Amino acid sequence: MNCKTARVLMSAAVDGEISFKEEKGFLSHLLECKECCDEFDDAKKTKMIIKERIIQFKAPQTLIDSIMQLTDFNTRETEETLLYE
Amino acid sequence: MDKPAPTHQTKTPTKPEALSREERKKQLEFQKEAVVHLHSLYNYALHITMNPDDAEDLVQETYLKAYRFFNSFERGTNCKAWLFKILKNNYINRFRKNSKEPGKVDYDLIKDFYHSIKDTRRDSSEADTDYFHSLLHEEVYQALHSLPEEFREVIQLCDIEGFTYEEIANMVDSPIGTVRSRLYRGRKLLRVQLEEYARKYGFNTGKDQ
Ligand SMILES: [Zn+2]
Repeated sequence: MNCKTARVLMSAAVDGEISFKEEKGFLSHLLECKECCDEFDDAKKTKMIIKERIIQFKAPQTLIDSIMQLTDFNTRETEETLLYE
Repeated sequence: MDKPAPTHQTKTPTKPEALSREERKKQLEFQKEAVVHLHSLYNYALHITMNPDDAEDLVQETYLKAYRFFNSFERGTNCKAWLFKILKNNYINRFRKNSKEPGKVDYDLIKDFYHSIKDTRRDSSEADTDYFHSLLHEEVYQALHSLPEEFREVIQLCDIEGFTYEEIANMVDSPIGTVRSRLYRGRKLLRVQLEEYARKYGFNTGKDQ
């Protein structure tokens, strides 16, 4: 495998979206190519930092309530008036 | 998951109090399958609208539509992905089309919003000097938002929401190969941004410029 192919597969390898066969070729390329190896590490780190650092907020209670009401039959009228299309 | 598809037309019951069995079943299933993703949808809406009020509206509309068309949701597939797709379409149709001023973003509001919860995760146990770990939510958030939308979008859907490439491809109406290369390029761009922040704070990123 050359660097070009390895880079095409890079994100898929990070995300576990690579086939067994592709992964074998990819990993053996990393063993002999420092550049791709570094890039792979960086890509994994970047994914991790996004996962770790981006905070997930709780939806406001008002929103939760109104969504719950959606599935309440009595609010059907409200639903009709809210539909703007 | 083997759920029988509703066979009766239940759209317009004659008496309001007579909630049909089918309708009740639909409600329960909707709660189990769709409402559980409320927080994810809200967060995603917050990211794309960058305005808490708009985010609420968007999520509300998404659920209204999802409930109306719940019968067309293919049982056994990822409901979260289905909801995200609806949300995205809603966003494009409404917020993009109707806003005369594109990018009308309430930055101050967003900033306050994020400030109020800042620092909550800083001192988790990683005692290392790796510059990546020095970054806070706010910096990572800003770096993410500095990316062109097509890159930011796939990174969010993949790294934050955990969708598969196939699901993402479907959501962004592009082939899987495109998703793959956008992720590759997006992460590279993001890294450059993050390194810039880190350098600003005096961390050695190992890359001189
Ligand atoms: Zn290489």
